[in-house]
Amino acid sequence: MKKTIKPVVVSVLAMSVLSACGSNSGSNAADNSTNSGGNTSGEKVKIEFFQGKAEAKATFDKLVAKFNEANPNIVVSQVNPPDAETVLKTRAAKKDIPDVVGMGATDTYKTLSASGLFEDFTADPLAKNIQPAYVQMMKDLTGTDTLNALPFSSNASGVIYNKAMFAEAGVTVPTTWDEFIAVAQKFKDSGKNAFYLTFKDAWTTLTPFNSLATLIKGNDFFKERTAGTVTFADSYNEVAEKLLKLTEYGQKDIFGKNYNDGNTAFAKGESAMYLQGVWAIPEIVKANPSIELGVFPFPATSDAADNKVISGVDTLLTISKNTKHKEEAKKFIDFLLQPENVTLYINEQKAFPAIQGVTQDDPTMDGFKEAFAAGKLADFADHYIPSAMKVETINQAFLQKKDINAYLKQLDTEWDKVADRK
Amino acid sequence: MAKRRVAFYLMTIPALLLFFAFHTFPALQGIYYSFTNWDGFSDSFDYVGFKNFVNIFQDENVLNSYVFTFKYAILTTILINIISLLIALGLNAKIKAKNFFRGVYFLPNILSVLIVGFIFNYLFANVFPIWGEKLGSEFLSQNILGNSDWAWIGIVIVAVWQGIAYNTILYLAGLQTIPHDLYEASNLDGASRWREFWSITFPMLASFFTINMVLAMKGGLMVFDQIVALTGGGPGRSTQSIAHLIYTGGFQGGEFAYQSANAVIYFIVIVVISALQLKFLQKREMDL
Repeated sequence: MKKTIKPVVVSVLAMSVLSACGSNSGSNAADNSTNSGGNTSGEKVKIEFFQGKAEAKATFDKLVAKFNEANPNIVVSQVNPPDAETVLKTRAAKKDIPDVVGMGATDTYKTLSASGLFEDFTADPLAKNIQPAYVQMMKDLTGTDTLNALPFSSNASGVIYNKAMFAEAGVTVPTTWDEFIAVAQKFKDSGKNAFYLTFKDAWTTLTPFNSLATLIKGNDFFKERTAGTVTFADSYNEVAEKLLKLTEYGQKDIFGKNYNDGNTAFAKGESAMYLQGVWAIPEIVKANPSIELGVFPFPATSDAADNKVISGVDTLLTISKNTKHKEEAKKFIDFLLQPENVTLYINEQKAFPAIQGVTQDDPTMDGFKEAFAAGKLADFADHYIPSAMKVETINQAFLQKKDINAYLKQLDTEWDKVADRK
Repeated sequence: MAKRRVAFYLMTIPALLLFFAFHTFPALQGIYYSFTNWDGFSDSFDYVGFKNFVNIFQDENVLNSYVFTFKYAILTTILINIISLLIALGLNAKIKAKNFFRGVYFLPNILSVLIVGFIFNYLFANVFPIWGEKLGSEFLSQNILGNSDWAWIGIVIVAVWQGIAYNTILYLAGLQTIPHDLYEASNLDGASRWREFWSITFPMLASFFTINMVLAMKGGLMVFDQIVALTGGGPGRSTQSIAHLIYTGGFQGGEFAYQSANAVIYFIVIVVISALQLKFLQKREMDL
C-alpha cells in the first residue's frame, strides 16, 4: 500500500457507491430486438407479456399457450420477474415498456400511468364489459377520467377463519367490532390464538390497516389530506387504537414470524382467524388440504352495514403506448377477457372477476358473496398513499413501540415530506 | 522502448474506457440527476438546484440509516478482524489436517450472501428460539430479527460469520510472508508466545491489517444483501442501511433524484472515511 495506490483505492471504493445509482446507462437496444418490423404476412409477431403476480405464472402459461395455438402468427411470451414493480419502473426509465403489462392497481401503476406510458382505453370497445365498480375504482385511483388499463381480476381482503375451530368454540361469525373482539377474547381465554400475526414482513400490517382505514375513514380522506383540510393526527385515532388492539390476540413473538410462517401455522390450526386476503388461500390449502376455511368482511365498525369487503384490482391489463404491435396486443387482451379464460383464471387463483357475467363460485368465498352481490366493496387504503412514504414500515414500528400519538404525527410528517420533495 | 510502451497502452486504455463507461459515467449521471426532480421514469423533469440536498438534511430516515450503518460497520469491522486474525493464527500453526480446516473456514465465502441470509433467516425464526426456550430465557426465545432494538445484532452475526472467511485468507497469506528466522531468533532469546505475537507477528502483518480494515469497513458501509435477505430494513426502519434506503426510496418509492442526492453525499462520506483510514493506518506501517 504505497502512496500512489491510495487515491486510486479511495476513488474506486467511493465510485462503486455512486455507480449503483446511475441506472440507465446500459443498452436500450437489447430488449427491442424482438420488436423489429411490422406484421408482414408469414412473419411471426412476437409480443412480450410482462406480469408481476408470481402465484399466477402457471395459470398465465396455460392461457398464453392456448392463445399461441389459436393464433399461429403471434407468439406471446410471458415474463414474470421477482419484484416486478421495481423492474417495470427501471424499464420505464429506459423507455422500454413491455407490449402487454399485467400488474396490480397500485401507486406504481398510478405514477406510471400519469407519465403517459400506457394506451388510452377510455373509449375502447374492450372496456364495455368491465364491471363499472372497478372502472370507477381505477378512475378514483388515478384521479382522472382517462382509463389507461382494463381491470382483469380483483381480490378480496377481510378475515379468513377456521370453520372447525369456530364450531368447536361455539362462536358465530362476528359482524361488528365489539363482537369481533369478543370472539377473539373467547379464543384467548381458552388458551388459543385468535390471530396469527406475521409482522416480520412489514407489508402484512397493511391487511388489517387497509380494512380499518378504509372502513372507518374512507378513501376520500386522502384527497382531503392532499388538499390539507385534514390530518392523520385528528382523524386516525380510532384506526390506530384498533390496529394496536389486534396485537393483544396474536401468538407469541408476532414480529418474529413472516407471511410464509403464518400460512403454514394457520393451516395447522395454530390460530382461529387470519387477517389476510383471499390470495393466501391457495397457500394455506397447499399446507393442509383438509382444512375447512371460511371468510367474512373485516368488522371494523360498530354498524354491520358499514363493513364492506376490501377489494382492489388485483391484475389489470394494459398496452404500452409505443408498442409496434398494438393490434396483436389488443387481440391478446381481448382473448384474456373472454369469459371462459377469466373463469379458468379465477378458479385457479381464487380471485374475483372484473368483467361482467362471470362469478366466483368457490364455497370458501360464500362469506364475501353477499357483499359482492350488493356492491359493498371498497378499495385498499394504501393504494392512495405514496409508496415513498413506506406506510408499512411506519405501521410496523408503531406496533412495536405502541405510541399512538407518535405514530399519527409520523404519518403526517412523512406525508408532508414526500409531498414537499415532488 | 517505444514498442514496449505501446504494449502497455494497449493494455491500459481499453480497461480505462470500460471503467469510464460503466463506472465513472453513471456516477457523473447520478450527480447530474441529484439536481433534478426526476422520479426515475417520467419523460420530463425540472432542475431544482440544491432542494434535494436541503431535504436530505431534514429527513430523519436518512439520519437513522446513517446511525445504523455506522454502528453496524464499526462493530463488524472490529469483530471480523479480531476473529479472522485468531483463526488465521490457528490455521498457520503446526496442526493436523491444516488444509482441511483451511477449506472449512473458507466455505462461507463461497456461498452467496443472499442464500446465507435466507438460511439464517429461517434459523433465527424457527431454530434459535426453540433453543432459547429450552434455556428458559424469555429474550432468547423470540426471533431477534423481529426486535427493533436487537435486529441489527442479528445482521452483525450473519455478516461476521460470512465475512471472516475472506479476511482469514488474507491474514493467512500475510502470516506466510513472515520470515521463519525471526521466530527462530526470538526462540533463542526465550521470548514468550505473547511477546512474539506483539513484537514480530503483528507488526509484520501491518500492511495486511490495513487492507483488511479498509475492506471490512467498506463492506460494512455498503451493506445491502444481508438486509434484503434478513429484515428488509425492519422492524420499522431500524435496520435500514444507507444503500438499502437509496435503493428502496429511489426505485420502489419513485424518488430517483432525491436518493441520487443521498448517494452523492454518501459518496463524499466514503471518500473521506477511506482516505482517513488509509492515512492513519499507513502511518502505523511506516513507523516500523
